[in-house]
Amino acid sequence: MKSTLFSAQNVIVQGITGGHGRFQTKAMLAAGTNVVAGTTPGKAGQVVEDVPVYDSIADIQKEHTVDTTVIFVPAPFAKSAIFEAITAHIPLIVCITEGVPIHDMIQIKKRLAGSGSSLIGPNSPGVIIPGVNKLGIIPANMSLPGRTAIVSRSGTLTYETMAGLSAKGIGQRYVIGTGGDRIRGTGFIDCLELFENDPEVDQIVLIGEIGGTDEQLAADYIATSVTKPVFAYVAGHHAPVGVQLGHAGAILGSADESAASKTEALAKAGAHVATSITGLIELIVDNK
Amino acid sequence: MKLLEYEAKNLLSLSGIVTPRSSIIHRNDSPQLTFPVVLKSQVPTGGRGKAGGIRIVNDKDSLQQTINELFELSIKGYRPQTLLAEEKLAIAHEYYLSLVIDKPAAEICLMAHNNGGVEVEENVAISFLNIAISSESVEVAGQQLADYYNLPSQTFVLQDLVENLYKCFVANDATLLEINPLVFTDDGKFVAGDCKMELDDSAAFRHDWNFEDKAAEANFVTLDPGGTVATIANGAGLAMATVDAVSDYGMVPANFLDIGGGSNTETLVAAFRRITEYPNIQAIVINVFAGISRCDEVARAIIAAKKQIENLPPLFIRLAGTNFEAAADLLSQENIPILATLEECLAAAKQEVSS
Repeated sequence: MKSTLFSAQNVIVQGITGGHGRFQTKAMLAAGTNVVAGTTPGKAGQVVEDVPVYDSIADIQKEHTVDTTVIFVPAPFAKSAIFEAITAHIPLIVCITEGVPIHDMIQIKKRLAGSGSSLIGPNSPGVIIPGVNKLGIIPANMSLPGRTAIVSRSGTLTYETMAGLSAKGIGQRYVIGTGGDRIRGTGFIDCLELFENDPEVDQIVLIGEIGGTDEQLAADYIATSVTKPVFAYVAGHHAPVGVQLGHAGAILGSADESAASKTEALAKAGAHVATSITGLIELIVDNK
Repeated sequence: MKLLEYEAKNLLSLSGIVTPRSSIIHRNDSPQLTFPVVLKSQVPTGGRGKAGGIRIVNDKDSLQQTINELFELSIKGYRPQTLLAEEKLAIAHEYYLSLVIDKPAAEICLMAHNNGGVEVEENVAISFLNIAISSESVEVAGQQLADYYNLPSQTFVLQDLVENLYKCFVANDATLLEINPLVFTDDGKFVAGDCKMELDDSAAFRHDWNFEDKAAEANFVTLDPGGTVATIANGAGLAMATVDAVSDYGMVPANFLDIGGGSNTETLVAAFRRITEYPNIQAIVINVFAGISRCDEVARAIIAAKKQIENLPPLFIRLAGTNFEAAADLLSQENIPILATLEECLAAAKQEVSS
């Protein structure tokens, strides 16, 4: 991913007339995001927070250039909304919707491959470039412009870390919640690559969770390709491990998916690791 | 959601996969069966055979006694509501076959092994056939399976089986579909001897699912029933981090609770009630950082819980994020303090626990 992907000059909101869509459109506008239009099929002509509503992205594109969409469409229709955005060649798709079925995500990942679109989410709090753009639901008043980049699988831990750093006077260049689902768009490695290559980023914060092997893969990438300092915390040190894994799942997941194992992998890769969120925030200092 | 064996086999059968002739037995039924018959306890856990949950009955005389014993037998804490009675298969060989989702690759994978049965977990993962499968590749996958099992004469049969299995997996929004053993019978048929199936709860909106309730609630998990501190947080990550922090602070967390994004008063009060059932709770740490949820809704629920539940242990509340000011107003009217950080909550809870 390139940093220009997040410049978000012309943002639309899919599902703008729903409860979350309305509430968060107002918050995004207040944070300075240029929301030019929204969609809800069948509700063309309505207005939400002075933003015009259209039936479809195609209708918006007759009048506007669109570079980013933020999706609040309910889970049963999220696949169609993402397909619509891919078909419309929107470079950045941020899907906030929680509960998108796994089989829908398999189809979405197939459509994304080879398309010109990048997907953040689903089940993501979105992205904040403090002082510039809010693309999603991360509370902007807790952010502070600066040179630290945060990426997290957990929405609430994204807020927690951002707020903790802001309170210490450590500002953020990027705050990205990748979303907590098992199959998602952008992952840790895409974000680490973005952070490493952006000269406006001095240091990186990575927050993982138990389950899967994304943190191990991130650790491998950090060891080989990241020169900037990385601070990491993996949530779930006291969570019961493996309870949801079925027979075949356990066979497939050969690597240890525990917080301890992931923390160890990240530490071996050179990251500064903590075993609690408060410990993580204490670890991080402004090294400018 | 994990299905019971008979529920999973019913879905297999509807997809054209052969299952043993069977009937279902509930408590107080007087079943008419053909002997010998295999009785299988329907519990949502593995290791049934070793625990005595699968019994072969050869005649009518011992039937009722065996049924009663199976209904009373607890396996890893589960007691069955249902028994599955099946014909006894004439087994020539047992294979392993499953479909799973390879999450990093976002693909459906077919896994197979030449030796099925209870010890399949001990096979080294590398020795499994493991191939990606999609609607376009079911025929190829069936061919590969026949080659792998070294059963060239069964190629068409296995292609048909793989096609039906794939259809069953996708149509039911399954995340795991495992046939183990896949029995090759003496008369040359493939029959699903046992089946494990898990469905994606997120897809419930497009199905008319009606399965036995397994009470698998992922949002509320007991970690230590003797713990002294209960935790309530929003979001799985923050809920895990809150548990980690309580433990790091030298206290024993009793539970993990993620109240999620749509926290209403009713569900939160119900959660408080469950917490008060733990015998040793001396403090409740509430840690909410609202994004899509709203702090004022959480505050209303806290106020309702305090009014409705007697002897509620002391609450140590940290709220932040969306609509914080409204929440602070509501709680201050009720003289319920909010602490600025999770650390302050932990420090205050620690005093309560050690006093």
